[in-house]
Amino acid sequence: MLSAEADLANPASLALQPDLSVRSGGRTLRAVPGTLLRLVVALVYLFLLGPIAVIVATSFSSTHSMAFPPPGLSFRWYGEFLRSDNFTSAFRFSLELGISASIIGTFIGFFTAYAARRLMERRGGVVQSLAMLPLLIPHLLISISLLLALNFVSLPDFASLLAGHVLICTPFTVAGIIASLDGVDAQLETAAMTLGASRLTALIEVVVPLVAPGVLSAFLFAFVVSFGDVYIALFLAGPGTTTLPIEIFSYVQWESSPVIAAITSVQIMMIVVLGLVIEKLVGLRRIMRV
Amino acid sequence: MQSSRKLLVAFLAPATVLYTVFLLAPVSLFLAFGLMRYDAIQLFQPVLTLANFGRIVLDPFYRGIILLTLKIAGLTTVCTLLVGYPVAYVLASGRSAWRGILMFLVVAPLMTGEIVRTYGWIVVLGSEGLVNRFLLALGIIHDPLKLLNTQLAVVIALVHILLPFMIFPLISALASQDPDLARAADTLGAGRMRAFLEVTLPLSRTGIMVGSLLVFTLSAGAVVTPSLLGGKDVQMLGQTIYDLVLHTLNWPLASACASILLALQLCFVTIQIRANRRALRRS
Repeated sequence: MLSAEADLANPASLALQPDLSVRSGGRTLRAVPGTLLRLVVALVYLFLLGPIAVIVATSFSSTHSMAFPPPGLSFRWYGEFLRSDNFTSAFRFSLELGISASIIGTFIGFFTAYAARRLMERRGGVVQSLAMLPLLIPHLLISISLLLALNFVSLPDFASLLAGHVLICTPFTVAGIIASLDGVDAQLETAAMTLGASRLTALIEVVVPLVAPGVLSAFLFAFVVSFGDVYIALFLAGPGTTTLPIEIFSYVQWESSPVIAAITSVQIMMIVVLGLVIEKLVGLRRIMRV
Repeated sequence: MQSSRKLLVAFLAPATVLYTVFLLAPVSLFLAFGLMRYDAIQLFQPVLTLANFGRIVLDPFYRGIILLTLKIAGLTTVCTLLVGYPVAYVLASGRSAWRGILMFLVVAPLMTGEIVRTYGWIVVLGSEGLVNRFLLALGIIHDPLKLLNTQLAVVIALVHILLPFMIFPLISALASQDPDLARAADTLGAGRMRAFLEVTLPLSRTGIMVGSLLVFTLSAGAVVTPSLLGGKDVQMLGQTIYDLVLHTLNWPLASACASILLALQLCFVTIQIRANRRALRRS
C-alpha cells in the first residue's frame, strides 16, 4: 500500500522544492486555487488548530470551571500540575519510556531501513511494506495480545510496555530513515568500497554521517509517537508504570478541571518544539509518509 | 560481496525478532482464543467452538455494536475525505512560501496524540464551551445544546484526530500527477471544474484509497474518543473489546470481536480494491 507514496521517498518531491516554486504563479492549473477554495482551506485549518488553541487558553483560567473563554487569567493550574504527584510521576515515566523506546526503535529502524535500501529492489520493497505492519493492526489488539502473552511468559511491566512502544515507533523510524537514505548517493558508498573499505566501514564512515539529521528526526518523531500513545498503555500500564496519557484518560473519565489543560499545554509546547526541530532537520513530511 | 550480503541479513534480524516475538506470535495467540470456549475461572477451555462468533452474529446487542461501528467509522471516513481533499489539493499545488508552514500545521496537531485532542473537544463542546457560548451570544439558541455524549461529538473529534492520515496520502497522490494533464484538459475546453472531475480526481484514486483505509481502520478501533465523548449512547467495537478484557474478563469473546474488527477492515480493503479496478477498466 505504500507504493503510492513512492514519490515521497524521493527527495526531489519534497516540500519547498525549487521546481515547484517555479511552477507557481498561475502557470499550472492546480496552482490557482479560487477564493472559495482558500476560504474552505482556512476553515479546515481553524478546525484543526482551534481545539488546541482552546486547551492552551483554558490552561490559564483563574477559576475551576471549564467555561470558555475563561473568566480570568492565572498560572494556578500549572502550579497545581507541579504539585500533583500522580501527574508529575506519570510525566516523568512517559519521558523515560519514550526515550528508551525511541532509542531502540531508531536502532532497529536504521538497520532495517539500510537493509531494505541495499537489498535488491523487489525484496527491499517487501521489507519496507512488512515494516509497516504495526500500523495496520489496531494498536488496541497489539496491547491486548501482549497482555495475554504475559500470562504465559512472565516479563516485567516495563519490558512489555517498552516492547509495545518500540513496535509502534519502528514503522516511523524505518520510513523516515529510508527517506534519508534515498537522499544519499549510493555511488559514494560504492566508491568507498572500491577503494578498499568493507561494507561496514563504508556504512559507518560514509553513510551514517550523511543521514545523521534524518536519523535524529526519526528518533524525535518516534519519541513523540511513544509519548502520545494511549492504546498500547491502555492494557499494559500498571501501578508505577502509568504513562501520562493513561493518567489523563482515567482522570477525565470522572471529572474535568483546567489542570488537565495545563498538563496537555505543557505537552503541546514540548511537541511543537520537537516538531520544529524535526522540520528544520529534514522536514516533517518525510517521516509522515504513511 | 558474500560477506556484505550476510551483513544485510544480520541487519534484518532485530526487526524480524521484534515483529515475530512481540507482534505476530501474541496477536495470533489472541486471535486463536476466539475459537476457544469461555470459562469464568480458567480464562478459557481448550475446546474448539464457534460459539463466540455465533453469539456476536445472533445477539442483537453485538449486532447493534457492529452496525454503530460501521456507521461512525464510515461517516468519519467520508467526512475526512471531504474536509481533507481541498487542503491536500492546495498543499500539493505548491505555493512555496506558505507550503512548508501549512504542511507543518497539519502534522503538528497529529503529534499531540489522541487524548490531548479529545480533551480539546470536551472543552469546546461542553455546555459552557466555545460553541454553546457562541450560539447563546448570537441568540440562536436559548439553552445550551447537549453536544457532549453524542454520536456527533465522536464523529467530529475523530475527523479532527484522523484528518492528517487522510491529507498525507492525498498530497502524495496529487503531487505525483503531471499538472500538464489537467492543464491540457482545461485548454482543450473542458473547463476547470470538468478538468478536475475527469482528470485530477480519478488520478488521485490511490491517495483516496490509502487515506480512507487508514482513517477507517483507526476510527473503527477507537476507544478513547468514543468513551470520553460518546457517553452511554455510543458503544463501539473497540470499547466492547476493552470492556470484555478488563471488566468482564471474557477473553474468547473479546478475541472474536477483534476478529470481526479485522474482518471489517479486510472487507473495506476488498471493496476499495474492487472499486478501483472497476474504475480503471472503465477509463
